[in-house]
Amino acid sequence: MSSSPAVIVLESVSKRYGSKAIIHDLSFTVGKGEIVGFLGPNGAGKTTTMRMIAGVTVATFGRVTVAGYDMATQNADAARQIGYLPEHPPLYDTLDVSAYLRFVAKVKGVRRAAIPVELERVTVACRLEAVYRHEVYKLSRGYRQRLGLAQALLGKPEVLLLDEPTAGLDPGQIQETREVIRSFGADHAVLLSTHILSEVTLICRRVAIINHGRLLAIDSPSGLERAVEQTNRVTLQVTAPAQALREALLSVEGVSSLEIHASPGDHAVLTVDCQVDARDGVEALIARAVASRWDLHRLERQQPTLENIFLKYVKEASLPGEAA
Amino acid sequence: MSGTLAVYQKELSTYFRSPIAYYVVAVFLLGTGYFFLYNIFLTGEATMAETFQNMGVLLLTLIPVVSMRLFSAEYSARTMELLLALPLTPWQIVLGKYFGAVTMLLLMTVGTLIDLVPLYLFGTPETTTVLSGYVGFVLLGMACLAVGQFFSSLTQNQIVAALITASVLLGFWFVGHLQNFQTSYVLRSLFGYLSFALHFADFIRGLVRTEAVTFYLVVGAIALTLNASYLQWRR
Repeated sequence: MSSSPAVIVLESVSKRYGSKAIIHDLSFTVGKGEIVGFLGPNGAGKTTTMRMIAGVTVATFGRVTVAGYDMATQNADAARQIGYLPEHPPLYDTLDVSAYLRFVAKVKGVRRAAIPVELERVTVACRLEAVYRHEVYKLSRGYRQRLGLAQALLGKPEVLLLDEPTAGLDPGQIQETREVIRSFGADHAVLLSTHILSEVTLICRRVAIINHGRLLAIDSPSGLERAVEQTNRVTLQVTAPAQALREALLSVEGVSSLEIHASPGDHAVLTVDCQVDARDGVEALIARAVASRWDLHRLERQQPTLENIFLKYVKEASLPGEAA
Repeated sequence: MSGTLAVYQKELSTYFRSPIAYYVVAVFLLGTGYFFLYNIFLTGEATMAETFQNMGVLLLTLIPVVSMRLFSAEYSARTMELLLALPLTPWQIVLGKYFGAVTMLLLMTVGTLIDLVPLYLFGTPETTTVLSGYVGFVLLGMACLAVGQFFSSLTQNQIVAALITASVLLGFWFVGHLQNFQTSYVLRSLFGYLSFALHFADFIRGLVRTEAVTFYLVVGAIALTLNASYLQWRR
């Protein structure tokens, strides 16, 4: 749980569409002044959860509150406190950028006199000056994404819900968008959904990890980084005596553990899975240690994947007292 | 109220930034002008009665084109997500869109006033009958738009929305003919009461009957209530 006052609160939330359960018993909070990453693979339930928090859909069981408002019954009141960027930026292609932003500002209750200043603020923050008079259908994907972010920032909401905000942006734009989110998150509550590991470790204070509609853990970015490190693996195939090979590999700096199996189809060749440090170059040390004495057929560094990290958290979750 | 107004302004802006509004207004005014000239020369009387009748049928075919995009386009462009997440109640969304569509209807109606110029220049039409015809036409259009808007909220496919709306509106228009095949008084009354055409005929004759006015307003109110309830239910 966060130490700052909770602005977004999910209490045992479940969502079903017909007989299909999408979200199971989800509980977490996001406090004022913190950016919480919402991490999960595609189809994990991130978007459904975001939609429930935004008031677009209602939880089947449990309760979602935002800034004290129950999102099942008071969503129209709560909406003034929420800036929401859905996965697909909700843009009217026939309007131009300024007309679109003006529409959202009016609906959010920005005073008529304050609208020009407010529009300028979000236009500058999201770098939309060059396309301010352009029709929306003419915008590139990056500009569409930034316009979606700009409408979410309008009206200075207390809460920002961002569903994959950097999708479709180039590296420079990603950097700029992260800066906008980081500066906004300093005194607001931000929930940032993504399936990009580095995104959450760079800007989030806490990370909620979800898979198959269940919350696996809420961890700090450093905890996540440890999990990432623990999922760094090197796989090699080598013809060698098993015991000597084990000793040789464990003596290599950076190899923490390993498993040796006979290769399918050729029992003379051993397949070895080594758990290694996250730093680069470990595979070169392994190659040197093995190739000098035996026949090395294949060596492959496996980058950490979300699936591997989830498996790690799933394993931890199944061991009581270890998770989160 | 400000939310409804913002949605209304957005709707109008959307209509006039796409070719649909211009197309609908142009087809309607050309059609009405043709029927007006045809009827005047055919009957030789300074009356709008036949023209109103033709305007009603023309309206029925064009309303689905106006109403089909009201919600279907929001679903397919995924902008419904925005409307539902903004500080708007379902009724504000429904009314803002409805008033936008009604404004289109009023623009079409105002365009036909040009037909009255030769009518008054070269004849002496009954002003009250002309007025009641126009009142009936606007009420008919408002009821049809509400029905079309409701069906648009049920599907993200604009063509499907238009086809369902056209079928239902034609059903309401022609349901009065079923009276001829009924011996039961109750059914005859029911079919007569449900008929858009029979109520409209009263207005064309110069009768502004409370029953007919109430009928169109109630049909519109039911359709809009279903529309708002459906949006709420979808959440």
